[in-house]
Amino acid sequence: MGLLEIFDPVAAPRPIGIDLGTTNSLVARVRDGAPVAIRDCDGEALVPSAVYYDERGQVIVGREALRMAQAHPRETIVSVKRLMGRGASDPETARLGTIDFAAPTSPDEARTVRLRVQGRILTPVEVSADILRRLRELAEDEMRSVGGAVITVPAYFDDAQRQATKDAGRLAGLEVLRLLNEPTAAALAYGLDQKKNGLFAVYDLGGGTFDITILLLDDGVFQVRSTGGDSALGGDDMDRALGQVLLEHMGAADDPGPEVVRLALDAARRAKHALTDREEVALELPRVGGGSTTATVTRAELERLVAPIVERTGVACRRALRDAGIEASALDGVLLVGGATRVPFVRRYVRDLFGREPLADIDPDQVVALGAAIQADLLAGTGSTGEVLLLDVLPLSLGIETMGGVAEKILPRNTTIPAGARQVFTTYADQQTGFELHVVQGERELAADCRSLARFTLRGIPPMPAGMARLEITFHVDADGLLTVKAREVTTGIEQEVLVKPSYGLSDEEVERMLLDAIDHGEEDFERRKLAERRVEAERMLIATRGALAADADLLDASEQKAVEGALAELTVAVAAGSATLVQAKIDALDDATKEWAGRRMDRAIARAIAGKQLDEVDATVAHARGVDEQVAEHQARLPPGASPSQTGTGPTGEGS
Amino acid sequence: MTHDPFTVLGLEPRFDVDLAAAEVRHRELSRALHPDRYQGKPAAERRMALERAIEVNAAWRALRDPVTRAEALLAAGGVELDERAEPKASPALLMEMMELQEELAEVRGKRDAAGLRRLGEALRTRERELCARLAPAFAAARGDAARLRALLPAVGELRYLRRFFEAYAAAEEELAA
Repeated sequence: MGLLEIFDPVAAPRPIGIDLGTTNSLVARVRDGAPVAIRDCDGEALVPSAVYYDERGQVIVGREALRMAQAHPRETIVSVKRLMGRGASDPETARLGTIDFAAPTSPDEARTVRLRVQGRILTPVEVSADILRRLRELAEDEMRSVGGAVITVPAYFDDAQRQATKDAGRLAGLEVLRLLNEPTAAALAYGLDQKKNGLFAVYDLGGGTFDITILLLDDGVFQVRSTGGDSALGGDDMDRALGQVLLEHMGAADDPGPEVVRLALDAARRAKHALTDREEVALELPRVGGGSTTATVTRAELERLVAPIVERTGVACRRALRDAGIEASALDGVLLVGGATRVPFVRRYVRDLFGREPLADIDPDQVVALGAAIQADLLAGTGSTGEVLLLDVLPLSLGIETMGGVAEKILPRNTTIPAGARQVFTTYADQQTGFELHVVQGERELAADCRSLARFTLRGIPPMPAGMARLEITFHVDADGLLTVKAREVTTGIEQEVLVKPSYGLSDEEVERMLLDAIDHGEEDFERRKLAERRVEAERMLIATRGALAADADLLDASEQKAVEGALAELTVAVAAGSATLVQAKIDALDDATKEWAGRRMDRAIARAIAGKQLDEVDATVAHARGVDEQVAEHQARLPPGASPSQTGTGPTGEGS
Repeated sequence: MTHDPFTVLGLEPRFDVDLAAAEVRHRELSRALHPDRYQGKPAAERRMALERAIEVNAAWRALRDPVTRAEALLAAGGVELDERAEPKASPALLMEMMELQEELAEVRGKRDAAGLRRLGEALRTRERELCARLAPAFAAARGDAARLRALLPAVGELRYLRRFFEAYAAAEEELAA
């Protein structure tokens, strides 16, 4: 007798992994302990990262959008990933392409690229959110209920690019469990599949980004030793180089229209693909002013064009090896990831660079999403992949601008994350009550040559003579590679208000407005959603706290235990009532009642870990969606509204701690 | 960081700490504290785990570098770390460092990769020798502030070497590009 597969109408939400690529995107999940790509009704797993906006406001994503690109080059956005986290005047906007960029009308608007599409102004975050929404739908078609996502980013993405990706996830209605570095994701999928141990390099050349990561695989621990790359280098650049040549063939080298550019770039990409296993390809191209021409492109010619692009990867590779403190010969393998690694010249180059044949027995288009699915599965606590731990690093040094415009490094690149640093600054004017900090990311000596991340304005410093106030600034980089800053005046212990003015990206209000716009029924719906999400968080706390009581009640004295049980009961009651505010208040109360105890339990966990025992898994819970307002709060902490410069702001005088 | 890295990693405070053992310890603690392990836990617990994980990573970073390792031992013994108040470097050391700087500028100018490598090797040897001298000295001080203070010139020398290493790394990068 055959078994019927029973479809559960209230299926538990399951996590997904997403590779949000420059050229193609992909969603995957873990099924029966193994990661698999989710396919559309045509059996296709790859979703082209192309979005077409029609005049009625309809959005089409994927293959169908790509088909519209030729006839509607201005309305079809491709390779939007290259614009994530970039300002309006970024050099990336000046490259050969078809996008109609809108000039910023204010300095605030200049913090992000804006695209003009069908009379609307769109940001790269919104376009990416449209791609993510399509992927979410694909996953929902197969799994009914999606419970959080790991989204991959190039390892070399800076803070602004990461934040933009997280914002896009939020906008697409996804709970972003983690931003995972693409090479690390690939190594995770590969390492678990092949059960390999050793020192590996992951060479990841995608459509628009290049990453090199050196990491150690050791019995389920994936420890990144170093990473490097270029977040504006990839297969797109090869297409552009060849496209430029094709435009000349077409007699359209000077000021071609978007249709002609699209045609040349598409022809270039097709030629590049064809030259993977052919020596020569003939392209039939229209000529400006009528007629057509046949352009013959040989592999040798393509290689001459792409050589300078590929050679740029070598510098980053050598530096990553140096940062890891190893020679290429110490590696146990080199993994190729990303569609552009199919180009024979790239393979040859990698082989010569590392002195060994690279491993290409994994599908370079899928491996990143598969790794993301594994990580999502682990984070959701449904993990069937055993004891796996990813230790990733900060890709670019974090620094502060000091007197003279010099960038003083506070966290060097390749620091294992999460990471933190503290710096103590002092005031230099009498009665100074404000202070400004400029945080930058990059390796260059001068702050102006690094990437500006944000300006932090501190206020409310108690008036004191110059040099008396001691400002302790704490920088935290979380496991997503995202930075937060806190400030405290040491002598008085007063926490300082920190106003953050990010140099790039969307303001919190903008993301909020977009979120509200995305929810069809406005305010009321938003409130209901908020309550639902507070309840989920409350349930999670109830489960965790009960589990903790079962395991570690001995770490509480009688009165503490009573307080915990009281707060627990009150939260249980509040969940049944219908107010998000009340539930939040009771969550906070339980949080307060358990804070110290949580510290003791953590000490116990540490003691056990040191003793070589496994961490108690008694209170293992199924992760549910994290609340929207918690994410909002997190975002607000990073980008509080109404940021304005301090009247008394000064340049910091650094004093390392 | 507020906590001394040896305490954070639960290791005996010594200059010649077994770095392989420290790495294993760092990994064990990361397994217990990494934010990945606290996904789905209440916010307070997640925050706390994040801070501890940061501390563990910082401790491991501090122990790997001989300068910060030495500073941690000095601080644990109650020696205040203030470079400006520390004894000035000896003229001999300053002279040596100046000569090294000149040598570096020369190989940099000539883009002499082999010369640069030789210089790097010499520096590493110099650092190894200094560390080999410092290890028994730290052990003999037994955490006594006065005896630790006597080690400040040697630690200062270590710092000079470190700064020189940075200049060397920049030159290496320049030559590789």
